Amino acid sequence: MDGAVKVRHPKSSDPRAPLPYVDHFRLDPADLRKVLGLALSSGGDFAEIFMEYRTYDFVNMEEDIIKETAESVSLGLGIRVLSGDKTGFGYTNALALEKVEKAALTAAAIASGKVKSRPARLRDKHLANYAYRVSSPADKAGLKKKIALVQEAYGAAQKSDARIAKVKAYFQDSLSSIAILNSEGLFVRDTRPMVKLVCVAISEKNGQREFGFWGGGGRVGLEYFRDVLTPRAIGEQAAREAVILLEARDAPAGEMPIVLSPGHSGVLIHEAVGHLLEADFIRKKTSVFWNKMGKKVGSELVTIHDDPTLPAFRGSYNVDDEGTVPRRTLLIEKGVVRGFLQDRLSAGLMNRPLTGHGRRQDYSNAPIPRMANTYIDRGEHAPEEILKSVKRGFYVASLSGGQVEDSGKFTFSVSLGYLIEDGRLTAPVKQATLIGTNIDVLKRIEMAGSDLEFGLQTGTCSKDGQDVPVSDGCPTLKISKMTVGGQR
Amino acid sequence: MKGGRRPALPADLRALAESLVGDARKLGADEVEVSVVDGREFDVDVRRGKIEHLVEAGSRVCGFKIIKDKRTAYASSSDLAPGTLRRLVRSAVKRAALASPDEFAGLAPLAKKGVDAAELDLFDPAIAGLDSKTKIGLARETERIALGDNRITNSYGANFGTNELHSVLANSNGFVGEYAQTYCELSVGLQAGDTDNKVEDSWFSSKRHFRDLAAPEEIARKAVERTVRQLRPRKIRTQNVPVIFEPTQTSWLMGFLFGCISGTAVYQKATFLAGRLGQKIGNGLVTVVDDGLMPGGLGTRPFDSDGLPSRRTKVVDQGILKNYLCNTYAARKLKLRSTGNADGSGVSPNNFYLEPGPVAPREIIAGTKKGLIVIRTLGHGLNSVSGDISRGAFGLWVENGEIAYPVSEITISGNLGRILNDIEAVGNDLDFFSPVTGPTIKVAEMTVAGS
Repeated sequence: MDGAVKVRHPKSSDPRAPLPYVDHFRLDPADLRKVLGLALSSGGDFAEIFMEYRTYDFVNMEEDIIKETAESVSLGLGIRVLSGDKTGFGYTNALALEKVEKAALTAAAIASGKVKSRPARLRDKHLANYAYRVSSPADKAGLKKKIALVQEAYGAAQKSDARIAKVKAYFQDSLSSIAILNSEGLFVRDTRPMVKLVCVAISEKNGQREFGFWGGGGRVGLEYFRDVLTPRAIGEQAAREAVILLEARDAPAGEMPIVLSPGHSGVLIHEAVGHLLEADFIRKKTSVFWNKMGKKVGSELVTIHDDPTLPAFRGSYNVDDEGTVPRRTLLIEKGVVRGFLQDRLSAGLMNRPLTGHGRRQDYSNAPIPRMANTYIDRGEHAPEEILKSVKRGFYVASLSGGQVEDSGKFTFSVSLGYLIEDGRLTAPVKQATLIGTNIDVLKRIEMAGSDLEFGLQTGTCSKDGQDVPVSDGCPTLKISKMTVGGQR
Repeated sequence: MKGGRRPALPADLRALAESLVGDARKLGADEVEVSVVDGREFDVDVRRGKIEHLVEAGSRVCGFKIIKDKRTAYASSSDLAPGTLRRLVRSAVKRAALASPDEFAGLAPLAKKGVDAAELDLFDPAIAGLDSKTKIGLARETERIALGDNRITNSYGANFGTNELHSVLANSNGFVGEYAQTYCELSVGLQAGDTDNKVEDSWFSSKRHFRDLAAPEEIARKAVERTVRQLRPRKIRTQNVPVIFEPTQTSWLMGFLFGCISGTAVYQKATFLAGRLGQKIGNGLVTVVDDGLMPGGLGTRPFDSDGLPSRRTKVVDQGILKNYLCNTYAARKLKLRSTGNADGSGVSPNNFYLEPGPVAPREIIAGTKKGLIVIRTLGHGLNSVSGDISRGAFGLWVENGEIAYPVSEITISGNLGRILNDIEAVGNDLDFFSPVTGPTIKVAEMTVAGS
């Protein structure tokens, strides 16, 4: 390894090629090894430097004008020292060596004692690219192209129905170059792309207003908006939902059978199951799942994976934020708990293998166990068959988010639903909340469709004040009963 | 940073802000606004008596807005290298040409008279002087007291954190303002019950001044009380009943109201309260204030991000909607005056609260034959376009004026417009534990969904 700026030039036409890594830090590796040494100077077991340079572009359209554009640069490094189950952490965005050394000493102070170990010689680790699929990189495209995408989505929403009163659309893209070095000699670099185009439409009729939302993106380039999901489709879908909601009635209240639409309803799996299988909650015994490894917690139909390696997905990455190459992780198999989402700290304390789920919002945060792309596997039922089996129930078409606590109690918000009457979808329903306890709900999954899909590639998950991009998926699912919180 | 009443601002921050304003003007910007913030953070988590996580760091960020021919571009950077900032300024001046001309764009005019930051009592020099042992000790002591209660079965840990922020804002209309502020917070999160019947809650104290922070005993006691009162919950049938909001719950309701009266939401028609200025939106018990000047308040500041002096604004006066809260831009769009609520490119509350009434919370409960006290909510379920509310909830069931038992796995639903008209009682227990807050309230009827 050398300290020179290293740029790899892929052919822009090859979406599988790794993105070029540009060294914005200009810190000498010999110095960084010394910094790792300082970080271990009070007897820590492990030290790590996470460096990040991120550029971000934003275009916002409202009131029929391109209201503003924005550009931002985020540069900094975080130093972490582990000592048993303790973590010391310091960060700085001033990269002068003395500031970096100060951050290292801050983190070092978590331990108190004599030097136990010295940093190993750094070895440059080569990463294969499976997570990113870029043929037309957003960071190389001019702002005009991004403005055109926003205008197209906006225009499509506005034109699609006379009842659309207001539209907002925005585009954002980022490119993050990260480097991770640790006292075990790891040195790994990755360049991570992300794009997102979103449209919100507000409909109005007789003074009543409703809104619809649609969007897409992921670890891709601008070609996504030509080949996968067009700005026009994004605008029209947002408008469509806003208009349907004008005719929607208030949600019913009480317990009833629920059918979840494929894709969007993956949020339920994320909230009800994924969070409580994150290893920090398991290790601290706060999660209801802490003593359930190998135990049956759900119906035979429930098999859940988290896979950070799915190409182009929003939650994907080639390497997690502490240098582990991730793998698809089996969490629940036919209703039985088989795995947890691990980061280095928890895996070490629990003596379990790493899964590559140590993630952080940015350089100013230490990594914690997080989901990436979480999904429940397909079943055997045709989706129509599932609907037909419900005499009276509630169909969840789109969701706006959810929340869970460690006891397993969770909620999620349905922005658009339908009543199911005699096996058919009838009246649209707005603004309902579903509430349940995860183990009850997992046991009540009665049918799973053959139609596994992933939801909109726009999702962000929050935990301990840190936001990370995620996605989730599921097939059509039937839950025998759940509480719907509507108005009578 | 020891001793002195007035904090010394790092001298280079102001110079940096002013020089960027000059650079951008030279490069052709008509109007420029630059903010620089220098922050220092300390944070420690103690769990089961041991330090789990300790963070100490400092960082700076610079953000600016450039307007050329009424076209706007924003930029920000945590890389303050002169080369990076110059590149961002040049790029922003060029980028501005790609935005649409917007007649409402433009800096706020220079105010005649500013607010003296020293009068607002936002900075505590004692915080910088706290040693690590004291800070770690506070978290450890709070958790130790809480775990001393044998009904508590697990801990999320206790946290003590401090922040010290120095902010400068300069613009090409000649405004230059600066101030320093501190925050400190002590909290603990707990679980009670066995694995399959867990309940959880937490409590905290968050203040500008270390001397005002609640003692570990008080925080621990409240966290324990709030957790164990949820043990052995029952399910209830779906029904329409009076609902009592504890102050922590009135707080999110006020946050939702803010989202519905923010000038940005109003001109975007993204709120059911658009077009309702001067009209009755609630009953006579509802008076809501935004106060940017309350000394020592968590939401207090001498000027907003447009450089306009803070003020106190009556938002709702005995049910009548008096003001939307605006930044300069939203105010121009709505032909109103800015209320000093600018925050970045948007609008945010200062100290935003429902004025207290005369009744003690226990009297409100005593006067309720059957109903629900909401103590926690889960999930989002707030739609400002329609005012609809639908959230998962935890509560205490009231029968014959007394708390009968805890309930869980329920949802509450209603509409903010109706709630403001249906408030039957407002408590006397207003507390600024959060900058967006209110006392206990009782709402005549909401749908509570259960089994």
